[in-house]
Amino acid sequence: MIKTPGDVKTYKLDLKRALANKFLGATLDAFASAYPQSRANAFSGIDFDCLAAEIARGKDDSIPKIEEMLEEFTARAKEAGAVVHFARTAFEANSIIASIAEENGVKRIVKSKSMTAEETFLNAHLERAGYVVSETDLGEWIIQLRGEGPSHMVMPAIHLSRRDVAELFTKVTGQEMDPDDIGAMVEVARNELRRKFLEADMGISGANFAIAQNGAIGLVTNEGNGRLVTTLPRVHVALVGVDKLVPDVTSAMRILSALPRNATGQLISNYVTWITGSVECKSAPGSRKIMHIVFLDNGRLALAKDPIFSQALRCIRCGGCANVCPIYKLVGGHNYGHVYIGAIGLILTYFYHGRENARAIVKNCLNCRACKSVCPAGIDLPRLIKEVHRAILEVEGPKPLKNVLLKRTLENRRLFHFLLRSGSLAQAPVVEGRFLRHLPLFFTEEHRFRRLPALAKVPLRDQWEKINPRIENPRLRVALFGGCLTDFVYPEQGQALLDACRGYDVRFEYPMEQSCCGLPALMAGEKETARLVAIQNLKAVDPAQFDYVITLCASCGSHLKDYADLLADEPLLGVKAAQLQDKVIDFSSFMTKVLRVDPGEFRSAGGGKTAYHAPCHLCRGQGVTKEPRELLSLAGVEYVRTKEEEVCCGFGGSFSLDFPEISAELLKRKLDNVADCGATALVTDCPGCVLQLKGGMEQRGGKVEVKHIAEMIAERRK
Amino acid sequence: MAKEDSTAQFAERARSVQTVVAEAKDLAAVFEYAADITVKQGGDTLAAPGIQGKERDRLLEVCRAKGIELICGELRETAGRISTGLTGADWGIAQTGTLVMDSKSEDIRLASMLCETHVAFIKKSRIAPDAGTIEKELSKMMKASHGYLAFISGASRTADIERVLTIGVHGPRELHVLIIGEDGQ
Repeated sequence: MIKTPGDVKTYKLDLKRALANKFLGATLDAFASAYPQSRANAFSGIDFDCLAAEIARGKDDSIPKIEEMLEEFTARAKEAGAVVHFARTAFEANSIIASIAEENGVKRIVKSKSMTAEETFLNAHLERAGYVVSETDLGEWIIQLRGEGPSHMVMPAIHLSRRDVAELFTKVTGQEMDPDDIGAMVEVARNELRRKFLEADMGISGANFAIAQNGAIGLVTNEGNGRLVTTLPRVHVALVGVDKLVPDVTSAMRILSALPRNATGQLISNYVTWITGSVECKSAPGSRKIMHIVFLDNGRLALAKDPIFSQALRCIRCGGCANVCPIYKLVGGHNYGHVYIGAIGLILTYFYHGRENARAIVKNCLNCRACKSVCPAGIDLPRLIKEVHRAILEVEGPKPLKNVLLKRTLENRRLFHFLLRSGSLAQAPVVEGRFLRHLPLFFTEEHRFRRLPALAKVPLRDQWEKINPRIENPRLRVALFGGCLTDFVYPEQGQALLDACRGYDVRFEYPMEQSCCGLPALMAGEKETARLVAIQNLKAVDPAQFDYVITLCASCGSHLKDYADLLADEPLLGVKAAQLQDKVIDFSSFMTKVLRVDPGEFRSAGGGKTAYHAPCHLCRGQGVTKEPRELLSLAGVEYVRTKEEEVCCGFGGSFSLDFPEISAELLKRKLDNVADCGATALVTDCPGCVLQLKGGMEQRGGKVEVKHIAEMIAERRK
Repeated sequence: MAKEDSTAQFAERARSVQTVVAEAKDLAAVFEYAADITVKQGGDTLAAPGIQGKERDRLLEVCRAKGIELICGELRETAGRISTGLTGADWGIAQTGTLVMDSKSEDIRLASMLCETHVAFIKKSRIAPDAGTIEKELSKMMKASHGYLAFISGASRTADIERVLTIGVHGPRELHVLIIGEDGQ
């Protein structure tokens, strides 16, 4: 049985156990390393973003019409001899299927892989009713024999080693299995399951598609078990979520062109089967298959009407969001979902399996947006995860202390900045260089994986008048959005910006009423606070007064651009938010595209190799990938590429406080990769990443110097 | 895309998923090939439920000459002992190396599922560049009441144990595709 902890404390014990599982870590890492390339190969010659947008549009058009499509499908499928059922709940679906089995005198059932059947716990229901149910997909069969749920939507047994399987099959066959002879183990499955296929009275499948236009269902499989399940037994039942309805063949083909490519890097799965009605079946009465299609609602129709969550129904179950998730890679699917796995799993668990199961896991998201960038249906997964988090907080109340404090301080800029200034004074006895000597009281041993920076003695805003040169006739007027970290922890990054732009006639201004961008509030599920802070910032920084709004923080930049969504309904500020989106720019883009800096402006090369860490909120959040590398090369820096440069460093704002063990492991891998490439410096364009990387480097006593890219560029200026 | 290009791409993509692709002059050459491969692999039966009339007589002769039993129907009865399944394909899709087979007939389905080796033949003129090109035809085949339309790309495979690719988990262990040129029949 699947158990998902309902409290963070128990959940963290599970995470710890998973992190200690060496096989799991190695096997998922190998998969995560291989996946991007095989995926890229599969999509070669196809514009992925364009395809994803088309799929999203198609789904968005059809989701409001599910009931109409269901009606049309039912009519067509009936004409072709199928019986169509509609189940409002999981229990209803299971009961319908059990009664079909009973009516037809069924004893043995074979199943092909169906996430929908996993959702309803169909096997348990049928077994309790006395039927013998065998999964026939190899991975599903393995986990069925072990009494587990899938740990990946496409590769259900990816968490198991050949040794685990050999042990299991030794028990099943009574013969010793050699763990290194995978071929022989597959042969065991072929023989054992072939017998079951031939003996079965009923076959149960899911469906990847239900085509309204012609009443056909489509099944996508590699092993060919789906073909046997739908051919050999005299009864066929397909259990289908109503979200699998598509209007026509064109829509189905469009999704099919993305599904296997994104799931496993295959151009197409080996067997794609389209079944319309009751097909010929010589073991059935009148040689016609007894064909039933059971559509499952289980909350989907209500979800379809929700303005925010309806896009979760776009999901085509490719599992891509798990494939690229840095957390999935560390802890595996049994700790990253309930029945549904990966980013989409964190969301669907709340709707299909309840708050209790979603409560802890939904917090375990870095908002690194890797999932969003590969979703073939363009689902804004990180956003929906936060919305689920928020929904649970709102429903459950009272809110955690962290949220209460966050709300109280962020909504009042003066109070917030007063606290930061007081902190700077109060910390004096424990400051050692630029770091805190020891961690504040509420931190535990697990937070010791990095050193925390001290607050700056004088924040950037208090130095601004002194350090900012007066440019009388500027070519450009640019507002600097500091963000909390640059302002109160790393003001030297602001200084670096001014130094780097020296001589380019840019007048920078620092609007003093600006505050935190509000992203931390949104991450904690405090949407209202995030909205209030956004309004405050828009009042402080009027985008129409500036040519650009620059920020040295990737997270602030990406979030400022998101104000347009956050404040879309705000009558007076909606337009300003949209204008702001057009004017926000990151440091590297500003230097290369706006100022068009010239190599002649920089001192000739020297020093060692420099590695670059791509902040999630820059490379994916803002789509800026070429510019930082280009800037390094213009400045004569010897840039060296590291492994997994675009994988999250594990900071994720307060994520690193909530899940220090995950944050620490991601940071370790990141720093190991940097060490492996022999770099003497590591630059990035986000003070959050700097905090994480610098603190980690200091803690491990590493020699690589970590800095903001602006600092390196400023140092290189002539 | 020109026909030759489609054929070349079909062959390349099909081979990339472990399909054996060869050219055949005509149906007679296909029969020879299917019988030969059966013998070579130590098999003794060939199921070809879709081959009928005069063609069937011709195939029967070939099988007899090689000492192979020809199974023409009622494949359920012979489920455990089909060495080679021989079927035609209605379309080929070059982009993915896919065979499209109308499999309404249960025997056709079983011939391509329960055999150890599946030999399929297709006319070169029936190889389309991509699924979009033949969408109308696909729709028609699905829409036919009691439809069972199969897209087949390579032999049965799994990677469910440590992601190690293993061929032949449930369906055929080998897929051979014979492309019949323009002047063949």
